Amino acid sequence: MQQTLEDFYKVIRAAGIKVSPSDTIETSRTVALVGYSDRDILRNAFQVSLAKSETEQNLVAECFDQFFSFDTFSAANDPRSDNTAEGNDAINDQQAATSEQNEVPQAQSELAKMLLEGDTASLATEMKKAAREVGLTDIWFFTQKSLYAQKIMQKMGLRDLQNDIAAMGKGDCPSSIAQAGELRNAKEYLSESVKDFVEQQLSMYGRNATRNLREDHLKSSKLSNVEQRDFHVMHDLVRKMAKRLSTQYSKKKKQDKRGQLDFRKTLRSNVAYDGVMFETYWKTKYIDKPRLLVMCDISGSVQAYARFLLLFLHSLNDVMQRIDSYVFTGNLISVKDIFEAYPVEQAIDKIMTDHGMGGSDYGTTLLDLDDQCMDDIDNKTTVLILGDARNNSLAPRTEVMQTLHLRAKRVIWLNPEPATFWNAGDSVMHKYKPYCHMAKTCNTLDHLERMLDDLLKAATSGT
Amino acid sequence: MKELYNDKFTSVDDIQQRFEAAQYICSEQIATCVYIAHNLQKPVMVEGPAGVGKTELAKTTAQILEVPLVRLQCYEGLDESKALYEWKYAKQLLYTQLLKDKLSELLEGATGLEQSMERIHSHDDLFFSETFLEPRPLYKALHEELGCVLLIDEVDKSDPEFEAFLLEVLSEFQVSIPELGTIKAKIKPLVFLTSNNSREMSDALKRRCLHLYVPYPDEKLESRILSSRVPELSETLRKEVVSFVQQVRELDLKKVPSISETIDWAKTLLLLHSEQLESPMVKQTLNVLLKFETDIDAMGDHLRTFISKAHKRSER
Repeated sequence: MQQTLEDFYKVIRAAGIKVSPSDTIETSRTVALVGYSDRDILRNAFQVSLAKSETEQNLVAECFDQFFSFDTFSAANDPRSDNTAEGNDAINDQQAATSEQNEVPQAQSELAKMLLEGDTASLATEMKKAAREVGLTDIWFFTQKSLYAQKIMQKMGLRDLQNDIAAMGKGDCPSSIAQAGELRNAKEYLSESVKDFVEQQLSMYGRNATRNLREDHLKSSKLSNVEQRDFHVMHDLVRKMAKRLSTQYSKKKKQDKRGQLDFRKTLRSNVAYDGVMFETYWKTKYIDKPRLLVMCDISGSVQAYARFLLLFLHSLNDVMQRIDSYVFTGNLISVKDIFEAYPVEQAIDKIMTDHGMGGSDYGTTLLDLDDQCMDDIDNKTTVLILGDARNNSLAPRTEVMQTLHLRAKRVIWLNPEPATFWNAGDSVMHKYKPYCHMAKTCNTLDHLERMLDDLLKAATSGT
Repeated sequence: MKELYNDKFTSVDDIQQRFEAAQYICSEQIATCVYIAHNLQKPVMVEGPAGVGKTELAKTTAQILEVPLVRLQCYEGLDESKALYEWKYAKQLLYTQLLKDKLSELLEGATGLEQSMERIHSHDDLFFSETFLEPRPLYKALHEELGCVLLIDEVDKSDPEFEAFLLEVLSEFQVSIPELGTIKAKIKPLVFLTSNNSREMSDALKRRCLHLYVPYPDEKLESRILSSRVPELSETLRKEVVSFVQQVRELDLKKVPSISETIDWAKTLLLLHSEQLESPMVKQTLNVLLKFETDIDAMGDHLRTFISKAHKRSER
């Protein structure tokens, strides 16, 4: 039973739930306590001790039902199910016939006997035994499917079965030839069942591996190369990231320097000064949230990136309260309302069709920024600009950048182009760069995450 | 009063029956969780929406086991001095003032600073002894002679620092007080932590607990709960109320009504002598069930269909 439990933990881990060794010990104790007699109670016990949130509880229940099911080799899959009784009779007749003629070759191997008798229960047991021997629980990727299926068949005695079939087919006794045909069919059926079984096991054990592989790949591939069909996966990824970043940094509290005096704490810490209150403590605390202003270029030159930058912007909007989002090509347009009113994909499509395309004009945009938002930008605001700084040879208006640099806490420029391209062609990056606290290349999700991590860390640490 | 672990639950069914006798109808999952927690002496983290009986579970458990319930309500800014212990500063000061004469008596005959210090040293522990200790819930729970049920309510409201402090208490059932040393629980209390999920708890804390999620009850369970809590309610009205509330939960509301609201509503209807759900009556009493003006407005269109469905359901 221990082995089964360990396999089950493997399944749980594959489903993405973290199970530590101490968890497994506790769970084993729990299982020992409640016993195996009642399926529902056992499931509840697993849920209670392995899961750590509501979604995980559902996952555990799902895994439990999948893992502790015994439906392989079910009657429905059996090719002979519709005429079981007849078939069996026929086999019995044949066997009776063959036993009369003693020289006729007979099915020798265990496997062949089980197949002929249609003993699905022992077949399932044999298969599970074989599966354990070949280490099926280590299966990770779908490419390993046929390999494992083959291995299991071999372990179950495929070779003997084939020998039997060959031997029986050679003779000239009609009943044994018929039996060989029967066995051949049964072999097909067996291999189908084993494949099904392997597939089912893969879906349990390999669940996470495949997803992780895909996500890793997506994270490090260039945003412009990510295809439309991966948009959903990407969306989840970005959301997860934005959420993690924001919870990590928005909870930081600071003691206020005014308000109600925390008398107890003040007294206690000033005992050393004989009760004279040198150090004061205040009751009010405030949550130090970074204020963020994000401007995203959606012009033709960064079109491939714009969708994902907007996706990220949308996710940030969801999880952070103090964020102002703007997009621009020639003018600065606030998109906060659109993000709030529409679900993500619609919002992005709407923004792209309403405001997208056209050549970018950073100069006018900066003037707009000066006009509309400069008053709101203070030494607590971080300004994030996403764009390639390709200004179509228009006036760059660096003086606005200079003011911005002076007023804002940090100005950060994320450029999808690699640094070597920054000054080539109509890029005016070199003109803006001196006024940025940080200017970096950012064209994969990994880049984005690392950047944002730095950004939020700096924003909350008060440097 | 009995000792906490003297009274063993024999099985999950046993728990369900005893809880039912105490007017708490629990699902099999809750019962299993309590069974495991009591037998393995592990804390339970109870999560779920407000008003589904998380706090009640701890209370009922204490009642059934016949042990005292020690409750610690968490909030932002809760710290050790409010949760564990505090020195009675005022008493300490008062005593030193009152005992000044005695102190000088004590010092009589001592020559030099060193000797005087030594004499005081031999007595200073008096001022940091349990006489001057103000016990707070956690300290009380550890000190209970016969064990107790400790309810740490709304643990998600507390600060991360306090959560870290809880780790020691929950895994070792001991706390360190600098002046007194480590204090170990006489009998490990049975701990329930409740959380509304307003903030994600740390993995370290979750790992130490059994995790129980209490969802809104299904129709059958809610009906049983209602009949146990408001037995005077007629069967038709009960069915109607439950069916109505179940339908309301399907809506997209700011605050979905939970069991406690259902019970309150049922009591209200009983008080108003209603025999059946009727549109004007429901409209007037809807504020018992829904706590936001916008939610009540959102109900407007559905009211009639919900009531007629509830009628049909009760006839079946």
